Amino acid sequence: MENHKVIADTSRAIALSVQGLTKTYSGAARPAVNGLTISIPEGEALGLLGPNGAGKTTAISIMSTLMKPTSGSVAICGIDAVRRPSEVKNLIGYVPQEVALYPTLSARENLRFLGRIYGMKGRELEDRIVECLDFVGLAESADQYVAKFSGGMKRRANLAAGILNKPKVLFLDEPTVGIDPQSRNLILEKLATMKESTTMIYTTHYMGEVENLCSSVAIMDAGGIIVEGTPEELINRIPGCANLEDVFIALTGRNLRD
Amino acid sequence: MMGKLWPNILKELLLLFRDYMGLLVIFLMPVALVIVVTLVQQNLMQQGFLGSMGETKTKTFFLDRDGQTVGPKLEEILKKANTLEIIKELKGTTIDVETAKDAVARGDYQLAIIVPEGTTKAFIYNAKQAARNSLSSGDTKNASPEKKTVVVPDLIVYFDPTVTETVRTSVKNSLKMALIDIETDEKIKAFAARLPIEIEAAEKKAMGDMWSDEVKKSLPVLSIAWDKTPIMAVKENAAQLGKQTKIPSAIQQNIPAWTLFGMFFIVVPLGGSLLRERQSGMLVRLLTLPMSCLTILTGKIVAYVLICMAQFGLVLAVGKFLLPLLGTAVLEVGSSPMTLIIIALSAALAACGYGILLGTMARTYEQASSFGAVSVVIAAAIGGIMVPVFAMPSLMQKISLFSPLSWGLNAFLDVFVRGGNIRSVLSDVTLLVLFFLVTTLTAWFNLSRKGRIRIQ
Repeated sequence: MENHKVIADTSRAIALSVQGLTKTYSGAARPAVNGLTISIPEGEALGLLGPNGAGKTTAISIMSTLMKPTSGSVAICGIDAVRRPSEVKNLIGYVPQEVALYPTLSARENLRFLGRIYGMKGRELEDRIVECLDFVGLAESADQYVAKFSGGMKRRANLAAGILNKPKVLFLDEPTVGIDPQSRNLILEKLATMKESTTMIYTTHYMGEVENLCSSVAIMDAGGIIVEGTPEELINRIPGCANLEDVFIALTGRNLRD
Repeated sequence: MMGKLWPNILKELLLLFRDYMGLLVIFLMPVALVIVVTLVQQNLMQQGFLGSMGETKTKTFFLDRDGQTVGPKLEEILKKANTLEIIKELKGTTIDVETAKDAVARGDYQLAIIVPEGTTKAFIYNAKQAARNSLSSGDTKNASPEKKTVVVPDLIVYFDPTVTETVRTSVKNSLKMALIDIETDEKIKAFAARLPIEIEAAEKKAMGDMWSDEVKKSLPVLSIAWDKTPIMAVKENAAQLGKQTKIPSAIQQNIPAWTLFGMFFIVVPLGGSLLRERQSGMLVRLLTLPMSCLTILTGKIVAYVLICMAQFGLVLAVGKFLLPLLGTAVLEVGSSPMTLIIIALSAALAACGYGILLGTMARTYEQASSFGAVSVVIAAAIGGIMVPVFAMPSLMQKISLFSPLSWGLNAFLDVFVRGGNIRSVLSDVTLLVLFFLVTTLTAWFNLSRKGRIRIQ
């Protein structure tokens, strides 16, 4: 298992640096994340793939300051995320798997609350809310309760909440689960436009999304990275693979994971 | 922290104001409970079903079959006692014994008092005999041999079967006192009539020929118009901590009791709110924002404490302004409003701490709402909200010491009816604040133990 991977364009500054990251849950037989090492330059999108239980969500939780690692380090834009999480939080955005918004608040009210926590206020905040909602195609539904949104609208609002603070590093944990193709397409298109200014770590089970969006891919299993490279490199590296899904199956097997 | 606390408070309030069921639980339920329970208990107390004779009179048939002097005197004494409403006619018709018995048996009236025929005659006769016997001696005894008394018919009382033993005893004692009063009067009257006769007879015998009308005029005249003012009175005072001398009323018991119950019921919407954030992933998102877990929890606590204080004010206003319009006494809030606010604040904190703890422990909203509601009802029951602690068996009285609602209620009653102040409620307030700290810290630890969030 290759656990010391560097995915880097060395000409650009490193936005996210993870060194020997390990997380063992209390009572667990083996670590959920085992010596993970990755470096992502600014403006790159890393697709983090892996079967269920591979350690993707744990890794993202640690990188986004939600959880303390058992050992190892995480630096975001050069700031130690383990020791100085409060400084890092202003630099990151997080789009969770669930639609993490208050259903009885409107999209605008949700974003207003989140923006105030980021320290935004007044005209700056209101303009940024409009900008984000417009970005995800929800400008006209801004004052509608989130509960009344369709699944696709909720996912788009979820993305708007994640990018409200113009994050340097954006963590996206399966942001397109269970939505219509139009909404998925819009989300991917919008994310593609953000690549220059925002470093992204993207987890999904939809391989096509990674092929289209991500400049590099890391496939995780049993808490570590088993292979990394650009999508083309991986497809070419594994014999008999026509696409990323073939690579994924070839490396992680056909056995079901619970 | 303050800059980020305020948006959290506003968000919580906004969420709550859009949760109509939550609002009903928080505001309507305690108000409805206070009104209904107070009126029900007020009514019961007025009818004397709670062990006292209550604030209004017990409806009582009074049938004077004797028709002479004892009946009216008894009626007059009972009226002065001001505890019974004497009814002698129904729809303009004099009541007979059977009608009275049936009406009481049906529960339409609580009592029927029947003065039997011949009562006055027997009373007077026996009083005269008693006077004669007590003054007779020596020769006069021979001259006027002792006569036996006659049997006075029993005063008959019919009770509604639902009237408690306490009330029966109270009524029977009142009647006994009234009869003793009448009997004393009759005896004094007989004594006053008999005494000059006895003295005259004795003087005549002693003076023999020297007796004259001039001697008779010199004998003292006995007046029966005695001053009936009691020589010694019983003075009732409430044991008190301060200077207040008010006696607790039903409203003073119920307002603090059901206010606390309502306050603690916010555990359902508060616990549910935290649980929904956990389940929806919102808590995870919040924890990636530049604020601490402490800010998130504090925002919830402050918002819900504000709600509890509004709830407290609303229920107090109901007790002060609305319930008196419905016939209850006006709520007297004691002499230390600041102490009341401190008690309410500490009770609100305790309720919020419990709500937060519930929100971290429950796995589903159903768990949070059902366990939260049931646990509060149990804590209320053992805390003396529904039945006063002093009326409980000794084991339950000991258990009640562990209910936060009991601490809150005791503190409120200290101020409302015992004239207490901040010093007298300090121990209860401290317990409530400690309960808040323990529950909140446990909730904090609970979130951290689950490894789902990072605590800063």
